[in-house]
Amino acid sequence: MTCARRTAALFAALLIAVAEAGCSNVERSRDLANTSVPGKVLALQICSNCHGVDGNSESPNFPNLAGQTEHYVIEQLSSFRKHSRIDPAGFEYMWGLSRHLTDEQIKALAAYYAGQKIRTPNRPTGRPELRDAGKAVFAGGVPEKNIPPCATCHGADGLGNEQFPRIAGQHADYLVKQLVVFQRTDERPEGAIMKVIAHDLTRDNIDSVASHLESMPVGK
Amino acid sequence: MRLLLAGLLGLMLVAGEADALPMFARQTGQNCVACHAGGQFPELTPYGRLFKMTGYTIGERTLPLSVMGVASYAKVRDTTKTDDPTVDFQKNNSGMFATGSLFLAGKVTDNIGAFIQVTYDNYAGQSVGPDGGLGKFQSHSQADNMDIRFADRFIDANRDLIVGLSVNNNPSVSDPWNSAAAWMQYVPNASPTSHQFVDGAFPGFGSGGNIAGANAYGYWNKTIYGELGLYGTANHAASFMSAGINNANRTALGGTNPYWRLAYTREWGAHNIMVGTSGMTAHVFDAGSDTSDLGNRGRFRNAGIDSQYQYLLDPHAVTAQVAYMRQTQDYSANTMAAAAPTYFLADGVTPVASPNPSDVINTFRAKLSYVYQAKYGGSIAFFNLTGTTNTLNQTSGFDSTGLITTADPNGTNITSTRVNGNLSGNPSTRGFNYEGFWTPVQYLRVGVQYTAYNKFNGASSNYDGFGRDAKDNNTIRFYIWAAY
Ligand code: HEC
Repeated sequence: MTCARRTAALFAALLIAVAEAGCSNVERSRDLANTSVPGKVLALQICSNCHGVDGNSESPNFPNLAGQTEHYVIEQLSSFRKHSRIDPAGFEYMWGLSRHLTDEQIKALAAYYAGQKIRTPNRPTGRPELRDAGKAVFAGGVPEKNIPPCATCHGADGLGNEQFPRIAGQHADYLVKQLVVFQRTDERPEGAIMKVIAHDLTRDNIDSVASHLESMPVGK
Repeated sequence: MRLLLAGLLGLMLVAGEADALPMFARQTGQNCVACHAGGQFPELTPYGRLFKMTGYTIGERTLPLSVMGVASYAKVRDTTKTDDPTVDFQKNNSGMFATGSLFLAGKVTDNIGAFIQVTYDNYAGQSVGPDGGLGKFQSHSQADNMDIRFADRFIDANRDLIVGLSVNNNPSVSDPWNSAAAWMQYVPNASPTSHQFVDGAFPGFGSGGNIAGANAYGYWNKTIYGELGLYGTANHAASFMSAGINNANRTALGGTNPYWRLAYTREWGAHNIMVGTSGMTAHVFDAGSDTSDLGNRGRFRNAGIDSQYQYLLDPHAVTAQVAYMRQTQDYSANTMAAAAPTYFLADGVTPVASPNPSDVINTFRAKLSYVYQAKYGGSIAFFNLTGTTNTLNQTSGFDSTGLITTADPNGTNITSTRVNGNLSGNPSTRGFNYEGFWTPVQYLRVGVQYTAYNKFNGASSNYDGFGRDAKDNNTIRFYIWAAY
């Protein structure tokens, strides 16, 4: 063996040794196929990249998960995993990441986010008239079109409950996109109820209610 | 190779949208848009940058192979002002399969991941034909970008620290931002001389690539990024980083060659920005020279600033990049000893000034791009390279009769070069680059680029001494770029 070859062999052996030693590092793993990685580790190592360490995402491209109801997070992750939620943003970003999650990991992820504190904008965002119009829709619905108040299901504080998700303090852009998905497509089949609700909402209704929700004080 | 590409293209079209993804996408199961801004590879989103910084370890181990191919067509505005268009504008006005790359990349362990690219160049060289003229094109494969990492992340509610080590072969290839020298130019260009004017000037490091480096980096609270590296010749155990390049052509470095990078980043809403600086000192031996003779060793000192802003909110992706790099080159003692002014001023009597032992080049590039629905995109870029004038870099000039000639009957003067010639000894090059592209499916991009020059090799008109103007080099290029 030449000197170069020997160095190379040594280097390779070292690399393999390091690799083996570092193979499983479950406290700080980013391995989505290793079912022994705790949900919280995945939340910190992977989900945080888009949803924020504490479930408050910086970019409106990604929903806030802080304070989201456990039931809803479990339902959505399961739905991504079994490919029943097929809206483009959903499958582009979430199908792959959820494909090997175990029920335990999903539960742990849901518990982690449910336990995080919601951060809302320091100052209300959007135009006041828009927010006021949205507040009316949220609290009173659109009576002439028989659209019930959002508050009846999502709660007067918009924080959701056993059955319905938290929508208060969510990014307006995200809310608008979801309402449009419900209204125009069947890409979120578990949201059949919302399809009925969103069906007759005008674009103005959608923009205003989203604006109101984004700035809604969450009182926690 | 052509067959292979055709086969792959076929495969891609047959495979369903969600499964037909290159290796990183297979590893995370996500679409390209998760990591690439508006789907325009290789520009990274904030998530893509974290994927890279955490050592390509997010996801699961999968088949770590991908292929990429570029088909290209280019047309230079003027191909008449030349002695031999078949040399100066090879393959002009004709479509071709330009390059193909094989990637070996992905997650290895919880902490180790790799990105290894080997590129096949269909037009790497041209043989000598039976009549002594140019013969067939020859293809060649060699090591392209390589980045093998070890990374760890310490994150909780109060802090977020990513640390890592990258073993790589190109300064700034380890960088997560696309205003870094190695990443700002992103549509792979082709080797035939018809493509030599595509893109214009880019900031870069004097050392070039295919060298061996070990870099340590850290990213703190998604705010401060720092990286320090040391580079040497890619030989011995690191020779895989210059695989396919023979001893004479491999870049030989002497001494320690430090590289550094510091960046500040911030994200607010759908916006994110990076402001950074980087630099390197590289002691480079003259190509193919004896490395035991320090007289063959020159030095490049690079220092630059760059910034990137992104606005990413589906369906919009806006990116603005600015990069400025200053390069000081000190020529080797032997280069200077051999350098003697060979041209004359227009009077044919006064020799041009003696060569300078060093040069400074300042390269600036700014680019703005927009992509809609990760499908339709366009960009506009401005480039401006300025530098010191040095007769050492003059490749055209007047002979002792006051004429500019390509063949010297007396054999006393060196000849002048058309098209690539430089009459002024100044490197100034300036222009715009316009691009439009369409990404019908996420792993296939079709585009057109137009590069317009208003300065080339130091002048707007007659830069080579034979009447060639900067705008004669304006080039339109069409490309099809696919990855699987
Ligand atoms: C009849 C009960 C009901 C009413 C009234 C209702 N919703 Fe919902 N909403 C739901 C349910 C159930 C879901 C969960 C759907 C799913 O599982 O996909 C939901 C989901 C949503 C989501 C998606 C949340 C997310 O994080 O993706 C938004 C946004 C939303 N509702 C907005 C509204 C607005 C705005 C109104 C008032 C105009 C409203 N909802 C009224 C039941 C209701």
